[in-house]
Amino acid sequence: MRPETIQRLSEIVGKDNIYTALEDLYCYTYDASFVKADLNTDLAGVAVYPGSTEEIARIIKLANQEKIPIVPRGAGTNVSGGSVSLGDCIILVLKRMNKILEIDRKNLIAVVEPGVITAQLQSEVEKMGLFYPPDPASQAFSTMGGNVAECAGGPRGVKYGVTRDYVIGLEVVLPSGEVINTGGRTMKNVTGYDMTKLFTGSEGTLCVITKIIVKLIPLPEAKNTMMAVFPEIAQACETVSEIIAAGLIPCALELLDNIYIRNIEEYAQVGLPTDAGAVLLIEVDGDSEILGKQIRKIEQICKGLGAVQIRIASTQMEAEELWRARRSAFAAVSRLRPTIIGEDATVPRSSIPAAVSRIQAIAAKYDLIIAILGHAGDGNLHATILTDETNVEEMARVEKAIKEIFIVTVELGGSLSGEHGIGRAKSKFITLQTGEAGLAVQRQIKQALDPHNLMNPGVMFGA
Amino acid sequence: MNRSLESWQNEAIRCIRCGACQNVCPVFKELQVESTVARGRVKLIRGVINKDLDLTEGLIDKMSLCLMCKACVANCPSGVKVDKLVEAARKEITEKKGLSPLKNLVFRLVLKNRWIFDTGMRTGRFFQGLVFRKGPEGQGMLPRMSLGIDKRRLLSPLAQKTFKSLYPEVVNVPEAKMKVAFFTGCMINYIYPDTGRAVINVLKRNGVEVRIPPLQNCCGTPVRINGDYETAKTMAKANIDVLLKENYDSVVVACGTCGLSLKEEYAELFQDDPIYLEKAKILGSRVKDFTELVVALEGFQDKMGHLPLKVTYHDPCHLARGLRVKAQPRKIIRSIPGVVFQEMDKADTCCGSGGSFSLYHYELSTKINDHKVNTIKETGAELLVTGCSACRMHIADGLNRQGIAVQVMHTAQLIEMAYESKQRRITKNLGV
Repeated sequence: MRPETIQRLSEIVGKDNIYTALEDLYCYTYDASFVKADLNTDLAGVAVYPGSTEEIARIIKLANQEKIPIVPRGAGTNVSGGSVSLGDCIILVLKRMNKILEIDRKNLIAVVEPGVITAQLQSEVEKMGLFYPPDPASQAFSTMGGNVAECAGGPRGVKYGVTRDYVIGLEVVLPSGEVINTGGRTMKNVTGYDMTKLFTGSEGTLCVITKIIVKLIPLPEAKNTMMAVFPEIAQACETVSEIIAAGLIPCALELLDNIYIRNIEEYAQVGLPTDAGAVLLIEVDGDSEILGKQIRKIEQICKGLGAVQIRIASTQMEAEELWRARRSAFAAVSRLRPTIIGEDATVPRSSIPAAVSRIQAIAAKYDLIIAILGHAGDGNLHATILTDETNVEEMARVEKAIKEIFIVTVELGGSLSGEHGIGRAKSKFITLQTGEAGLAVQRQIKQALDPHNLMNPGVMFGA
Repeated sequence: MNRSLESWQNEAIRCIRCGACQNVCPVFKELQVESTVARGRVKLIRGVINKDLDLTEGLIDKMSLCLMCKACVANCPSGVKVDKLVEAARKEITEKKGLSPLKNLVFRLVLKNRWIFDTGMRTGRFFQGLVFRKGPEGQGMLPRMSLGIDKRRLLSPLAQKTFKSLYPEVVNVPEAKMKVAFFTGCMINYIYPDTGRAVINVLKRNGVEVRIPPLQNCCGTPVRINGDYETAKTMAKANIDVLLKENYDSVVVACGTCGLSLKEEYAELFQDDPIYLEKAKILGSRVKDFTELVVALEGFQDKMGHLPLKVTYHDPCHLARGLRVKAQPRKIIRSIPGVVFQEMDKADTCCGSGGSFSLYHYELSTKINDHKVNTIKETGAELLVTGCSACRMHIADGLNRQGIAVQVMHTAQLIEMAYESKQRRITKNLGV
């Protein structure tokens, strides 16, 4: 990057908020995905940490003048390669803009800056008896800006939906440097196109999000948690469908397969039978008086479909113990192989049994370990590939397997990504789902807003 | 351990870059820059291993920005041993680039040679005035000249007399229940003999015979975590020989860092030396933190008198996440009659000392310390108890800087106070 440009950026954000050393820039060549930037071709020119919308607007105008690509970044926890540097670009980190501007109890909304940590917002609103449900696994360290840009989900998605369902207004800086507001503070709003929903999940390709208005709901009074163990994974999958069909909507409905069960038991000794085909972790929330009734109904369904072991937590501590199995899942399998690739294919709920068996067949075909852990309630399966990235031959098989998983997903009427985003990791597969015409429309939207392709180029649509 | 940096590749690739360390890394909390969080450090180390990066000044600086507090390790979903990776990188840096001149002098000449260290530290009391000046209000000392140490760093002055010079090699008790060796560590010996005295008094009152092997050295951790493995091994061997010379029931430490090195890290150092590996394991199996030993002594609470104090406790990193001692000191504090124990928020977050970290990154270390001091203040406690002399010094420095009147002491000193309180009452009742 030209020294004059760096000088001007430094004047905008201040010399303490700009980084140009190799060792610093090297740390923007990755995010939480397996996409890696090449040091020789992809190292960023500069990383800046702006402190205000105004500073961001000035940075973008400058970038626009000089045609420098911009990669917006929050905590860098996205799992699809959406915040990795690409060549002589500006890494725009929004972590300094980290204030909760407002929690409005009367209108049930919160207004936050993009750098606010999601769990921080949650804990603040919960102190007031309110609830912001989206709960990506990274909620303790990922930012609201990143969550909105990726439209993050989480286990509670089955009942409460995803980030998009809560964002009602945004302030964004467009690729031209102009600042606009979309949506607003009202629950109903049909003025013009729904730009808020368009920008939510736009993965940094259309704008930089600088302010977020989210709606809140009342905090559920209580929770009830249970675990059911099934000899066969098909029985567990059928149970998921039955629970939903019975009109019961748990706030978490998590599925663990045998690979996870065996490793969790070995690692954390939580008392799971290691020959079990699947475990379902089920949580209901709401009015404390009806929770017991709901759990009993779910228990009946589980038993009817062949559950061999059912544990219902009667105290908060027991509930924690049940969740311990789920929470140690990751650590448990990470001991097996050094590299873990978490896929995110999502299918209609009724297709879960088919998806699971086809993923298992793909694992056998390519001689890979693919464990399945899923937010089964919403069809969001996380096929976890346990591998070793230093083994070139095996990684080639991994790549083929991933491609086949995508093809299967789309065949079953599903989506390439439920909550992780397309990023750079899946951009070459996007037409599997959108078709050529569908992709062309998306490209036209991108072209209209970002004619010079400066905002996170390569993400979603490929290079 | 003579492992090359390359051999750590398999540990490094286990980092899946999820970013969970951002939530707990005290250095990242202040600096917020990716290269200063555990995930960034691991990536930089991988960069060195796969020859993307050289051992530049910039890289050396990034590697120095780790407190070795293990918070990331405890919180890592894949359990990556980030502290061991940073240590391996520092070892590589030391081997290829050498130590800084001051570290070189201190590690290779002084810490390694007990008598130079001893003489230096004793005569140091007279000479420290030349190098250090008194802090504001006559508190502590500030460096006068550039040693690569931040000139604002307030250090506790050296003790009038070293701990070991105050006590005989064997502190006898009639009908001893057990015989233990006390590994004092440097800070207790040279700066805080009051902690050492409390350890002895408390154990004595419980019928434990304490031996203070005179030939013990510095545990070697400051040297090892800065990458000087050769010196660390020499020091470890000397300590192993001294502490295994007699058959003690336990080797007692009153410092989590010394304790962890004796208990686990010596064995890691001697992975390729079967003779010393075996010895290190035997030593390791005997090491106990002082509070672990105390709670196992029958009736340790019975000798405690009333102390009308509000107390809070800070978990030292290497005691909590290294030796996994968290419950014992709390049990002790809660068992003192009259004491109101108020847990602080995030008691096990690093105080920012990090041993020599606070000397080289003073400003940052102070900022980290400010959070600790604030959480201490929020408890309303009048006494902060902890199990590590380095934490004690750093927290006392922070409280002093912010003008907060909270006393700081080691857990052993609180028990000693409780025992003395009961003793006084008995003496008074007897009318003596």
